[in-house]
Amino acid sequence: MSLPKVSEFVRPTDLAAALHELESVNARIVAGGIDVVLFPGDTTKLVDISGIPLSGINSDAEGIVIGATTTMTALIESPLIADYLGGVVTTMLHHLASPLQRNLATIGGTLISAHPWSDVIPLFLVLGARVSYYDGTEHTVPIAQFYAESMFRQRIILTAVRLPAFPPGTAAAFIKFSRTAFDIAVLNCAALVQITAGRCTAARIAVGGAPQRGYLLPHAGEVLTKSGALTAEIIASAARTARDEADISDDMRASAAYRRNLVEVGVQRALGQIKDKLEAGV
Amino acid sequence: MNIELTVNGVRREFTIAPGETLLELLRRTGYKGVKKGCEAGDCGACAVLLDGRAVNSCLVLAAKVDGHTVITVEGLADDGTLAPLQEAFLDTGAVQCGYCTPGMLIAATDLLNRNPRPSEEEIKEGLSGNLCRCTGYVKQVEAVKLALTRMNGGNDA
Repeated sequence: MSLPKVSEFVRPTDLAAALHELESVNARIVAGGIDVVLFPGDTTKLVDISGIPLSGINSDAEGIVIGATTTMTALIESPLIADYLGGVVTTMLHHLASPLQRNLATIGGTLISAHPWSDVIPLFLVLGARVSYYDGTEHTVPIAQFYAESMFRQRIILTAVRLPAFPPGTAAAFIKFSRTAFDIAVLNCAALVQITAGRCTAARIAVGGAPQRGYLLPHAGEVLTKSGALTAEIIASAARTARDEADISDDMRASAAYRRNLVEVGVQRALGQIKDKLEAGV
Repeated sequence: MNIELTVNGVRREFTIAPGETLLELLRRTGYKGVKKGCEAGDCGACAVLLDGRAVNSCLVLAAKVDGHTVITVEGLADDGTLAPLQEAFLDTGAVQCGYCTPGMLIAATDLLNRNPRPSEEEIKEGLSGNLCRCTGYVKQVEAVKLALTRMNGGNDA
């Protein structure tokens, strides 16, 4: 459906000009445009940021930098992303929406929309991604802080997301439960484990679509770091902790009771995959 | 506002409303092969190639694609000769009511353009954004395989 309330469409070519355009009442950024079209609200003015050079995938000593208007397809087809941490981001993206939508959807758009069912958010939480945004000056903050503080402010432009480099002995996994391959998640979960000299030195576990937006489960992660080794028993214990720790509720897609079961199963599978990857030296 | 768009190889100027979708623009200017289905990006009936990649035209704002290139299902045939995918859809019976067919053809074209030898799983993923309420999706996957066989110089079998 076309957007009858929209009366103005502007194409700024730099961030300062875009921010200035956003000062209008009911102005909104458009990048891929999916959320603008599906959920226009009272938007009357669209600020198209695709003319600002914010697209691209690059690596440096600290990790990978993904420009905000990079499409999901560009990420799926990127060798840099495929080589990153055993290809866990690529795996997640194959679960995300359809190729038709992935050709439009941008990483910045999906992080700003911050849908509760987002597959990107739980994975980026466990990776410890950092989000860069512009509000007159550039800021870079951890993704959890971005969602806690920054993103609900007026007039910010997300410019990039940074995925950190990890030492050898680190693996991550992503699991999605949905009714069909293309449906949004009933529940998803992600995990990351770092093993140093045979001991688990860092572990992060997150769930999303529960049904609220993805969040970390610190107690479940602590089960791993306190126990040290990644054995089947400890994985089962972490999964049970995650089940108890997760804040779960009902919605049209699933009952809370079903979701709680999925948390345990999902975390167990994710950690099982990580154990296999670490043992295989991936 | 005015935009310029190359549609099926022809550069054209259009006067559009700032909030108009590419789907609405294409249909009102005669490209009726672009089907209006769910208008929410779920069904894929409105798929077109935008700069060579298949997208849901219902999710694209026309104002965003000023200067870009669009190919609709009308642009797949070459001077009246059907594309191999179109022939294969006919020959395998992948067309029943036909409403999903233009979108399926566009999605399959994007897939084969970037992956000349997709596996069955890759074909299914490539068509996963296109809903069909008549078939069980088997015929469309067979059609893509048949088109691949023919395009790679093999026999029908």
